[in-house]
Amino acid sequence: MLEVHALRKVYRVPKKTEGLWGSVRSLWNREHEDVVAVDGIDLRIEPGERVGFLGPNGAGKTTTLKMLTGLLHPTSGSLTVDGFVPQDRAVAFLKSITLVMGQKQQLIWDLPPSETFLLNRALYDLEPALYQESRAELVELLELGDVMDKPARNLSLGQRMRAELAVALLHRPAWLFLDEPTIGLDVQVQQQVRKFIKTYNQKRGATVMLTSHDMNDVAALVDRLVLIDKGRIRFDGSLASFTKRFAGGRRLVVRGPSDLASAGLERADDGSWSTIGDAEAINRVLQDVLREHPGADVTVADPPLEEVLTAAFGAREDAE
Amino acid sequence: MTANLRAVPDLMRVGFASIVAYRAEMVIWILTASMPLIMLALWNAVAMGRPIAGYDQDALARYFTVTLVVRQLTSAWLVWALSYEIRQGALSAKLLKPVHPLIHHGVTMMSALPFRALVLTPLVVAVIAWRPALLAWPGIGPLVLGLIGVGIAFAMNFCIQALFGMLGFWIDKSDSLFGAWFSVWVLLSGYIAPLSVYPEWAQALIRLSPFRGMLGLPVELLSGELGFAEGAAEVALQGLWLAALVWVTAATWRIGVRRYGAFGA
Repeated sequence: MLEVHALRKVYRVPKKTEGLWGSVRSLWNREHEDVVAVDGIDLRIEPGERVGFLGPNGAGKTTTLKMLTGLLHPTSGSLTVDGFVPQDRAVAFLKSITLVMGQKQQLIWDLPPSETFLLNRALYDLEPALYQESRAELVELLELGDVMDKPARNLSLGQRMRAELAVALLHRPAWLFLDEPTIGLDVQVQQQVRKFIKTYNQKRGATVMLTSHDMNDVAALVDRLVLIDKGRIRFDGSLASFTKRFAGGRRLVVRGPSDLASAGLERADDGSWSTIGDAEAINRVLQDVLREHPGADVTVADPPLEEVLTAAFGAREDAE
Repeated sequence: MTANLRAVPDLMRVGFASIVAYRAEMVIWILTASMPLIMLALWNAVAMGRPIAGYDQDALARYFTVTLVVRQLTSAWLVWALSYEIRQGALSAKLLKPVHPLIHHGVTMMSALPFRALVLTPLVVAVIAWRPALLAWPGIGPLVLGLIGVGIAFAMNFCIQALFGMLGFWIDKSDSLFGAWFSVWVLLSGYIAPLSVYPEWAQALIRLSPFRGMLGLPVELLSGELGFAEGAAEVALQGLWLAALVWVTAATWRIGVRRYGAFGA
């Protein structure tokens, strides 16, 4: 289990006024400012959960992941992962986690992935049988057969990302911390990576915590959402409850009729008409529309996650 | 610890593969460290006709050839690797692994030894062909002490470079400070001149300093300039310096890693 209590991280950042005079002044008068990246968060994650950790840039997502994996020492507060204090970097803890951040993390740039696999076998002290089994499984699932013997620098972004994932999971960690695992990848590779992460979670019972700006990642992978902004948690709950709370209801989309403004619907760029409301309101509008336009093409669904997220952060701006 | 030891052969194998991948750069780097051969040419000219500080031309050839070899066996590039990793956030990947990053680096540096030996061999053979009299048996005692001294010198160089590299936890360009240290090291380690060239008082100070144990001491033992008894006392002092350096390195790591920002990664 992962438990975080009142976790805080403050960075001390040097400040320099621009221009030559600023550079000269900073020689003897170096100023600093404290930047609060994570501001007292509480969190509890059970084994096997798939949690999406979302927020705008600079919200504190990556800093939190780095603290959870022991890379950063918290300024205050407590955190444990399976009873380990991450920053102690106990060997058993390090063998039970992995952190994937971007596509240039683990692979040795001028050597083929097969060499990085060997390196990780040594670093994680993997038994030969386990190593062979895990390697074969990952190479198959991530379709890496053709790239194992090519230098990492010659691989495409998608191949590199898949190889990074494979190397990161070679030791079969129980905790996966993934920072933007599909960023920069084409749609096909994104889907492949998502499918793989979900399979790994289900097959190994591993816990997944991921940050992403891609709502497709969230929709495909996550059961639970944690929203962080300005270092504080603004929401923690299921995807359904998130949508219910911030979407303002369900969305009715009507295609066909040329004008539904009088019925209270808004026109979208693609020519469709839509409105958001609770079940009763949607039902009422739907009946009106179908009475006037019996052949209209109608759908009722949750609004896209991007919109809900925008609404969630918009609500925060309004509250301030 | 046992797991760390078990990791060594594979780490060395992958380290060696990296060295081979960067072979051209490595050859150039090794050759740029051939300063002892330049010093040999200079001192050889000075010592023509009369010995300098007890060294005749053959002894000078022996001293600088052994210096060349010992320098290659004991040097590292940790200061640049570590300061880069700290500044760029690349240390994160190593921090997430169960093997300590400094052990990982240490093994990688050692894996370069076979390649260094390969590049060095023709140079050493050429010097021997030029002056065969430089070959002399130092005696079993000094030889064994000298080999121990080479191991300690490698570890001392490694710790010093780790310390300068770790300054990256506090300042932006820690490797530039290493340049200042290296200038002093060049003067006092025996790299450009044997110890006996210096005045008596300077020799006494250098013997007590860590510079001596980082190069000159094993060189003098292996070239037969230093006897067993005197050498043993100096190797013991070298061991004390290493113990102190290991302690300071470990303490600095513990404090420094708390400040690590993991930026850019």
